[in-house]
Amino acid sequence: MIVTLGACSSSSGGDDANDKTDPITIGVSLPLTGDFSEPGKGVQQGYEAWAKIVNDSGGLLGRQVELKILDDQSNADRVVADYEQLIGKDEVDLVFGPFSTRLVVPSARVAEEYDMLFVEPAGAAKEVFEQGFKNLFYAAPAVANDHYNHLADKILAMPADQRPKTAAYAAMDDPFAQGTAYGLKEKLEAGGIKTLVDEVYPPNTTDFSGIAAKIADSKADVLVGGSQYQDGVNLIVALQQLGYQPKLAAFSTAPTNPEFASAIGNKTEGVLSPTGYSQDAQYPSNKEFVEKYTAQFGKAPEEDQANGYTTGQVVAAAVTAAGCAEQGECQKKLVDWLRANTVETVVGPLSWDETGKPKGAHMIQQWIGGDIKIVLPEDVKEAEFLYPKPAW
Amino acid sequence: MLNASRALKAGAILLLAAGILAFPSLAPNPYILSVGVLVLNYAALSTSWNFVGGFTGYISLGHGALAGLGAYGTGLLVAKGGLPPFLALFAGATLVAALAVPIGFAALRVRGASFVIVSISLVLILLLIFQSWASVTGGSRGLVVPRPFDLSRPEHHRVFYYLFAGLLALALLVWWLIDRSRFGLGLKSIREDEDKAEALGTATYAYKLIVFVVSAFFTALTGGLYALWFGDLDPVFQFSILTGSYLVLMALLGGVRQLFGPVVGAIIVGTALEYFKGAYGDTPLHLVATGLLLALVVLFMPDGVLPAVADLFKRFDRTQSSSIREVTASELRDERLKKAEGAAR
Amino acid sequence: MPSGALLFQSVLLGLLLGGLYALLASGLTLYFGIMRVVMIAHSAFLILAAYLAWWLHDQAGIDPLLSMIGTVPLFFLAGVGLQRALLTRLRPATLTMMSVLLTFAIALLIEGLLGYAFSGTQRRINLGYGSASLEVLGARVAVVKLIAFGLAVVALTTLYLLMKKTRFGWALRATIQHRDAARLLGIDTDRVAGFGFGIGLATAAVGGTALSLDTTIYPSLHWHWIGPLMAIIVVGGLGSVPGAAIAALVLGMAQSLLQIPMGTTWAQTVFYVALFATLAFRPQGFFGGRLAQRF
Repeated sequence: MIVTLGACSSSSGGDDANDKTDPITIGVSLPLTGDFSEPGKGVQQGYEAWAKIVNDSGGLLGRQVELKILDDQSNADRVVADYEQLIGKDEVDLVFGPFSTRLVVPSARVAEEYDMLFVEPAGAAKEVFEQGFKNLFYAAPAVANDHYNHLADKILAMPADQRPKTAAYAAMDDPFAQGTAYGLKEKLEAGGIKTLVDEVYPPNTTDFSGIAAKIADSKADVLVGGSQYQDGVNLIVALQQLGYQPKLAAFSTAPTNPEFASAIGNKTEGVLSPTGYSQDAQYPSNKEFVEKYTAQFGKAPEEDQANGYTTGQVVAAAVTAAGCAEQGECQKKLVDWLRANTVETVVGPLSWDETGKPKGAHMIQQWIGGDIKIVLPEDVKEAEFLYPKPAW
Repeated sequence: MLNASRALKAGAILLLAAGILAFPSLAPNPYILSVGVLVLNYAALSTSWNFVGGFTGYISLGHGALAGLGAYGTGLLVAKGGLPPFLALFAGATLVAALAVPIGFAALRVRGASFVIVSISLVLILLLIFQSWASVTGGSRGLVVPRPFDLSRPEHHRVFYYLFAGLLALALLVWWLIDRSRFGLGLKSIREDEDKAEALGTATYAYKLIVFVVSAFFTALTGGLYALWFGDLDPVFQFSILTGSYLVLMALLGGVRQLFGPVVGAIIVGTALEYFKGAYGDTPLHLVATGLLLALVVLFMPDGVLPAVADLFKRFDRTQSSSIREVTASELRDERLKKAEGAAR
Repeated sequence: MPSGALLFQSVLLGLLLGGLYALLASGLTLYFGIMRVVMIAHSAFLILAAYLAWWLHDQAGIDPLLSMIGTVPLFFLAGVGLQRALLTRLRPATLTMMSVLLTFAIALLIEGLLGYAFSGTQRRINLGYGSASLEVLGARVAVVKLIAFGLAVVALTTLYLLMKKTRFGWALRATIQHRDAARLLGIDTDRVAGFGFGIGLATAAVGGTALSLDTTIYPSLHWHWIGPLMAIIVVGGLGSVPGAAIAALVLGMAQSLLQIPMGTTWAQTVFYVALFATLAFRPQGFFGGRLAQRF
């Protein structure tokens, strides 16, 4: 008995597939504490909302779904041990991805080596898709480097006398945050907009006065921040202290946070941010999601929650089409189906190339009149693009 | 000479070795096996740490950085230098040992306090360098180390389990040899009273430096093996101050004067860490537990559990009491103080 | 080539930063002088004070500066207690090493408890005057940074006067110089050492409040501070308060200026380069020297 144990775990699993009344268990590891705890909790709520909505409407393949969520404390060693435990010991039927690029790559490798389908809500940096993973799919409209595509087009289409001429970039040393800022940088540089400042700061930076002094001294027209949340706020406050006034300011993630306005003293007018999700989007499943999510959690979902929910939708679509959900042969069927099909989700229809990269772009939001509104692309806009940005 | 405590000791060591070797076939699933690999990794690291901590009494909180250097050295030599994995492992460890010479040169010139400061600084500065120097190290994007063997994941764990066990055995053997040598005697004299050792003609500085480099070599070797096993390196986790503190806790808990002290400590602390993280998630409470345990060990059991257990046996074994024991300077001092106090009253 | 305005701005920022470093390093120096203890938990207490300031502001709207009324005496008592109840228990022969581990354990404990109580989320006090600034000769200086610097100057001056002009300061300096001799002169060195620790920890309370005014705090932030601080006390000559203060200003300024050509991350390495250089070429420190034995 002892000798054969090593080999049997990945092929057969503990519970037999023909026992249809068993719940489908789904293993997840998320950063519920540590550096990424805020977005991690957001994704967790998205997953929980998805599980509840699925179970309330009769489950998947007639079976209830059950989430098993472990906390990885934003730690790569932990995330690997977690998926190892979920797949090897707990023998879950499916896995969902964790949060943050840093954690996605190591955990995707575990899933890959156990031949599990790996749909993830948060590994947006291009490195994720360069590892040769065959089972990985990113459940969002675009990778980090493409987030600002609509904004870059808009800026470069301006008449030459209005178009900004110089830009300053400051990005957190994180694949996602840097990806967004450098995606825009590449396109603006190609369009002739000169880079005056290009700063990278470590994730734990708390004092931004030095970086701010450089940016303020450069008097660049465009300010681009590759930020998470708090670092964006700190940089803006430090720039305000120095009296720097850009004509255009774009930050990833931070401006969409509900506490952003009060954190920078309500001087938000004109600040831009890319987003992959809008509560008002007219996709069929989105209405149901916003309604039921609000009922469950008492507030409307944000982007992180939507990403988690989207992951659930993508896996559910594959499970329904393939008609199975367990370890072993079934996982290959799920992967093949996703590779060949398009899935309708709360962030729109998603399809993937062979590396698991989604084929889309993000919308651009802007703070206008004390509220954040979609301004780009033209066909879904809620307000006019505001340029130049009023003083903060 | 046959005596009970010696037989007990030999039996315990045999049992430990047999247990370690049999573990992979007893592990019920690959996850438990991967925990076993992790514990052996800790055991090898804390045994490597004990070359400095145990012999000289210098406590380094920076060995996590040496392991991280070994991991990155090996990883970079494989991923960017194209060397075969196990050649890269030894080349990487040799490089780290060479680097340990100037580090030790600065750190060991001054007694105690500065050594600890340097050891902590080493972790912090290497974290900065490996994060910032992204063109070489990959920075926050991490470094992916190619797998040395094309195996399924459970098989991969099994192979590396035995590799780690082999490395641990090698480190233990070298420690044992030094312990019995004149060199070891010189080192221990530094631990007991550095000034007197120097006055008696021991080349204390050279001794400290040599053993520091040996320790760095084994630490880097373990770190490099970890890189080959784990596959993904990230500066934040490789150069973490916590790694060093775990090693110190393990070695102190097990007993720094004992050959198997760090191993026992690693088995206790490593298993407990893994268990608590698995059962309660990785909440900040495990920091609290680590902190408390470290404080308790430092305050009440600075010699470790193994000596405490040995003391317990000695109570039953009267024949031992008259033989010559190894007594530390601080114990002698405590004893004398007690006697002096008794006399005063 | 950076413009003159940027250079001047950086010099000002460096001076403000250096002031805070000087205050914090003075506490570390004091512990080392009294007991040859490297107090790793110093910056953890710093973050604890900052959290208390944030928490009081968040819960009751109390201005962070007022929180010092509570935190300074509290930290003083904690310092006395720490010295009397824990550090004196360690064996004298291994005190330096074991005290490092003990204070390290305390740092972990504080970090873990902060994480448990307030989660790992980054926190920042939203002050009405948070983004206000003054113009000084063409450069702009944030009001909050000036307040923080002012706090550091006041605390350091108080410490200086306490050490130089009072009977207690005399006893403390005697204890630092030669403990046994001080005891022979009738100084209750145990008590003095305890009070010295209390004062050291009280500087952490002041520093933490200053810190909370202008930066984000999170539980593991203390590692970010302890490295530079330890480098400062070694460069300044272990045990010398003026040495530490000079080293703090010089290195703070160097960090701020190096940010212009090197960027934030590389600029931080200046502390460690200075530390290694000091140990390799002048282990007694650059500013302490013979004075290291005196105040």
